[in-house]
Amino acid sequence: MVFNDHRDFFEVLERENELARVKREVDWDGEAGAISRKTFEHEGPALLFEKIKDYPEGYRISNGTSGTWSRVALSMMLPKKTPIRKIYKEYEERIDIKIPPRIAKKTNAPCKENIMLGNKVDLNAFPAPIVHEGDGGRYIGTWDVVINKDPETNWTNWGMYRFMVHTKNWLTGWPQSTSQLAFIMKKSYLPYNKPMPIAVVLGTDPLSHIVATAGIKTFEDEVDHVGGLRGEPVELVKCETSDLLVPAHAEMVIEGELMPDKIAPDGPFGEYPGYRSGTMCAGVAVKVKAVTYRSQPIVTMVCLGTPPDDSSIAASLTAAVAMKKGLLRHGVPVTDVYVPPEGVTHLIVIGVKKGGTEIARKILDYFTLRRIMTNKHIIVDADVDVFNMGEVLHCFATRCHPGRGILYEWYEGRSNSLTPFYSPEERKKLKGVSVAFDSTWPPEWEKEIVPIKASFKSIYTKETIDKVNKNWESYGIKI
Amino acid sequence: MGRISAMKEWQTFVRRFSDMKEGKRELFIKDLSPGKTKYNTKHVYATVAKSKRTLKNPDTLWIRGESGEKALTPWYLVIEKELEEFIPGRPWEDLLEVMAKREMKKG
Repeated sequence: MVFNDHRDFFEVLERENELARVKREVDWDGEAGAISRKTFEHEGPALLFEKIKDYPEGYRISNGTSGTWSRVALSMMLPKKTPIRKIYKEYEERIDIKIPPRIAKKTNAPCKENIMLGNKVDLNAFPAPIVHEGDGGRYIGTWDVVINKDPETNWTNWGMYRFMVHTKNWLTGWPQSTSQLAFIMKKSYLPYNKPMPIAVVLGTDPLSHIVATAGIKTFEDEVDHVGGLRGEPVELVKCETSDLLVPAHAEMVIEGELMPDKIAPDGPFGEYPGYRSGTMCAGVAVKVKAVTYRSQPIVTMVCLGTPPDDSSIAASLTAAVAMKKGLLRHGVPVTDVYVPPEGVTHLIVIGVKKGGTEIARKILDYFTLRRIMTNKHIIVDADVDVFNMGEVLHCFATRCHPGRGILYEWYEGRSNSLTPFYSPEERKKLKGVSVAFDSTWPPEWEKEIVPIKASFKSIYTKETIDKVNKNWESYGIKI
Repeated sequence: MGRISAMKEWQTFVRRFSDMKEGKRELFIKDLSPGKTKYNTKHVYATVAKSKRTLKNPDTLWIRGESGEKALTPWYLVIEKELEEFIPGRPWEDLLEVMAKREMKKG
């Protein structure tokens, strides 16, 4: 079953025991966030808060619809218990298929059931949560899809960026200055001092949100790839105040203009690396011109923090596959890439057919060439299962030479300022450093000097392994 | 006897607690009054002080640092003037630096 909207997906989550409906009234001011965080930290279900303090019956908040591998599998129409490796493989195969969107009539678009225009706009009418106590404001845009378009090439970018309620008709937000949204603003609007139309979309089909976290190449429309992943086109409808096309089945669409000459405070906010780390007051201001929304709308939240949560799980998938494809294009003999959710896209594991310093340098070059979101890269030989962090850690501990196996690259102007260990000065200058841990055997070593891994699979002959496997039950050992 | 209006509570963010100075200042403040409009922002020109004794009918101003850490004790303010919701600036410019430069210019 292909999911067209957030509500379809809830039905499946409920059937699969992956959803809890919270019927007791909860406060949008910290309580919904705290419940969501505790649920994430116990790998609990997706949540639908059905009664929100201060808001009419039916106005709801959801959290965690992609917060576990089971829910990601379900969103891809796979069985709930699909192994991570298989989810990666499916995504890798489907993400290159492009199916362009279909345009829906306004009358058939659920997101147009209610329309607030111009001076009628009131963002306070929606239960935007204080996600974490001490955040800079009510973040209405967390698990969102933010849409903007390059007028020169018609490229439409979908990304996931934070946006908070500034006043009843202004948003402020923090798409990173190195993001694709920023690229379009800096390329096609700022030089002409023109405001850029944007749409902040809440609660569309689950794969649209997952792809919004992906590193799809510049000048490629994410919506085509969502179509490929779904096997069906996404239905879009035109905005009320711009020519942007937005998912017709969304819960809410906030239409606005990102101003080229005005700023206001954003942040701080507890972000995806698992900290609230000082990124504030260096964002963008958006004048909201319209809000269109379904009756009884659902504000989609991701209570970001220490993993796992929707972001660390979704990005584990989308980032790893994008990196694998990129490394292959860069001439690296990659077997697999794994982004462990616990490493929050800061730590990457790369399996290679052939290792050594030259390959490690090539990998580091790839990760530091342009915008940099990662900083630690463990490179392992093909005999190591990159999805098995026990094996990866053993390999790193035993094969990475502390003197010649660690390669660094410093840079300025393109680091990820959300990286918690950077000093305030480094964050401001986007100054950073990345490291490759070459945990592969030097390719110049003769075969006979390479240590043999003392594991069942690798230190015994095939005859012994087959014999032991065949007779296993007769030994009377339960494992 | 004249009616004494209830003291309102506001919140503002600074990089370091020590950045907050007494006197007349331009500030973005968040309304902490309960209800749907809680946390809406106002851009104001205000007189700010550490002690409420130096101000007439002041409101409470809670200070948070750049990581959201809340200062243990509040400051106080009297709003002199409400300003537009934003200040002139380029996207991704450091708002607090822009405001500091504006203050310097004003002397």
